[in-house]
Amino acid sequence: MIDSSNFEAVQEEITYAFENTVFFREHMQANRLRPEDIKAPEDLQRIPPTSKAHYRRNFPAGVLAKGYTLNSRDVMRFQSSGTSGDRLNSAILSYDLARRQATGLGVNRRFDELWRPGGRPRICRFAPPNCSDVECATGVSSLEDRTLPDGTLVLTVAHDLLATPEWQIVKALDEIEIYQPDLLVVDPTHFAFLVRCTRRLGRKITSPRKLHIVCGYTLMTRVARRQIEEFMGQEVPIGDMIGMSELGYLGFECHHGRRHINNIDFHVEFIRGGRSVEEGQLGELYVTTIDDCLVPRIRYATGDYFTPLGSSCECGSELPVVRIEGRATHMIQLRDGRIVTPGRVDSVIGDAPWLDLYQLEQSRTGTCTFRYIPNAKAQAREAAALEARLADALAPNEVRLEAVDYISCERSGKFQPCISRIPAEGA
Amino acid sequence: MTVQNAWRDDFPALRREIDGQPISYLDNAATTLKPRPVIQAITEYYETNGANIHRGKHRLSEEASDAYEASRMVIARYIGAAANEVVLLRNTSEALNLVASGLGLRPDAYIVGALDAHHSQILPWRRVGRVDLTRVDAHGRLDRDHFRMLLRRRPQVVTLTHCSNVTGVVHPVEELISEVRAACDATVVLDSAQFLPHQRINVHALDVDFMAFSMHKMLGPTGVGCLFGRSELLAKLRPLSVGGGTVDWVDVDGSVDRRIPFRFEAGTPAIASVIGSAAAIRYLESLDDSERHRHADELRAALVGGAVTRPRVQLIGPPNENGRIALVSLRLENGVPAGEVARILSDSYGFMVRSGHMCAQPLVAELADGEILRIAAYLYNDAAEVEGFYQALDELLSWMAPEVVLGANR
Repeated sequence: MIDSSNFEAVQEEITYAFENTVFFREHMQANRLRPEDIKAPEDLQRIPPTSKAHYRRNFPAGVLAKGYTLNSRDVMRFQSSGTSGDRLNSAILSYDLARRQATGLGVNRRFDELWRPGGRPRICRFAPPNCSDVECATGVSSLEDRTLPDGTLVLTVAHDLLATPEWQIVKALDEIEIYQPDLLVVDPTHFAFLVRCTRRLGRKITSPRKLHIVCGYTLMTRVARRQIEEFMGQEVPIGDMIGMSELGYLGFECHHGRRHINNIDFHVEFIRGGRSVEEGQLGELYVTTIDDCLVPRIRYATGDYFTPLGSSCECGSELPVVRIEGRATHMIQLRDGRIVTPGRVDSVIGDAPWLDLYQLEQSRTGTCTFRYIPNAKAQAREAAALEARLADALAPNEVRLEAVDYISCERSGKFQPCISRIPAEGA
Repeated sequence: MTVQNAWRDDFPALRREIDGQPISYLDNAATTLKPRPVIQAITEYYETNGANIHRGKHRLSEEASDAYEASRMVIARYIGAAANEVVLLRNTSEALNLVASGLGLRPDAYIVGALDAHHSQILPWRRVGRVDLTRVDAHGRLDRDHFRMLLRRRPQVVTLTHCSNVTGVVHPVEELISEVRAACDATVVLDSAQFLPHQRINVHALDVDFMAFSMHKMLGPTGVGCLFGRSELLAKLRPLSVGGGTVDWVDVDGSVDRRIPFRFEAGTPAIASVIGSAAAIRYLESLDDSERHRHADELRAALVGGAVTRPRVQLIGPPNENGRIALVSLRLENGVPAGEVARILSDSYGFMVRSGHMCAQPLVAELADGEILRIAAYLYNDAAEVEGFYQALDELLSWMAPEVVLGANR
């Protein structure tokens, strides 16, 4: 399945990247290619994928387009923690970020009123510390210290989410009240935690403005979503963002709950074994930026896996529908050679009203341990039923359930619901 | 191949590549890399023994105890001390805390320190007395007149920093200690964590009362800090921690402390790391001293020369190579964030350097008014590497220049 809808724009991007960035020119030359060799959509696969490592090593001299510096107008610099230590330094043009965000949010009618001509929503962020571009976990910073140049307020949260002290939770809730946001941009696991704490403290998360919630950073589990929806109520629109720090919005959830990938600002490919997959098959997302003057990326292997499901959705958007499967490094590798994606694991678990948080961890030996934090509704039969479902999904590997009262985050502050200690060799 | 490169081959971590790029490790003031003999000594202990020390009567415990105590002797010999004058702890910070808390100072005790001290040589003393810090000049050299003036107030303790971890300045501690002895009867406590990795010391010739250092900054494993204390002073020092290994006898009414230095070493120590520490010292001893000094001179010249000729950086410390180790700290122009620069130097260019306040915030605030970038070289680095670092910094700062440049046309 090769998308040829924006091929001319892709050709332009290839030519631009070739002529204006050292890295991509050398990448093409190393493979004896020139832009004019890419004549048809099929030719695109002649260009070996580019990776995060390429852009990390060559930043900024090799990947910033000729004529730009890191201080050029509208350039936003950032350092992301990446996932599992795969960090990145990069830059993006603020208007590219806005363009991609607008395309993404455009699939969800419930977010329409967020953007009004001449206005900018007031945004609060509650996400892993290293995703926040500010040192927000020190505990001594003020609201002003944590307000980014674009006006976004970054709320404090500890690196180890479940060890966040109560004063820090109270501070976050107080600051939401003071700031009066239109939009909360959150990591769903983090926000579900905040919701549980808020309930325990007898407080509310409200704003005099109409609140919207965008979830990103890590996989939104159904367990987290259930808690957020129950607490915030049906009136608060919740949307799941597909995104990466270096690219911005790659897609968004429509008002019918399906995830759409942005194939307007990006050329997207879903690749497995070097070839495009068919609809319904798992593939790694490769993106080629469209009209990115600062850091054009060609066939950028994102490490994120999706199953493309076609382009028909009752929401009316023509952006292709996908199912999020997760990152290669988080996939469970079974002894019989099959893989089970974090998305699949989440569908086995479901919204599980009897638990607050879970993490499935596969050890280097292949054994799986499912740790979960039960809540007051938990009953033994539910755990037993889930154990049976997981055993079925993960066979022939063994799975063990452990009820716990604490699960740690990774050092970056991110919480992954599904992790494998077996080195990934591509899904 | 140069002599430096021959040393480099002893450090397996330097063979590592990240994103297909070799690494250049220039964060040696934080910790040094470990040569193969150190790694082998640690591995050998775990592969052939692994037993606990001192109390066991079985063969493995006896062997481990012998190796552990032999290591103490190697460390003691290196600084000209007796073995019972060397306390093996976790790090320099713990050593300095032990002295500060163990001297039995009254709450109003007057203590003279120095502005360029590491937090570990300031904070423990603030907990136990009134501390005045000796000023430094614009280049980080101690203000000797101010020091003498503070000594006239007859401090009970004088804490000295042998070498600043920010400026790289080596202070004339022999002269300073003489001045202390002439002015008062203060106990002299020296932090030599940054100096000892570069030059051997004889503690008795130096006439110091206590001296702390860390093995990990001189090729040894992490987890071993050493405290030298003159035996009569150690005998009066109150242990920071007590428990297993610190006593000869315990009954329901009381206990009898063990002799020094064991009374300060509560619990099972880092046995493998102490054995590895001795291997580090043997490695340092095996190097040709004159070659080491010539090499250090080259590194100093490259580091200082590179800094003073660049308009976009300000050298924090003396603008010359005299009286310093191979370390420079830089303030970057126009508020360019040092942390971001350090991260990009690492990920894009392979240079591992340090950014921040270096655990010496009073000094960094005074001399740089913000975070700095620190480049600290050691024996496995060479001048060409330092030059490569400066070229990378030049290139990166040009990308971060404040001027606005229009983007490419499409």
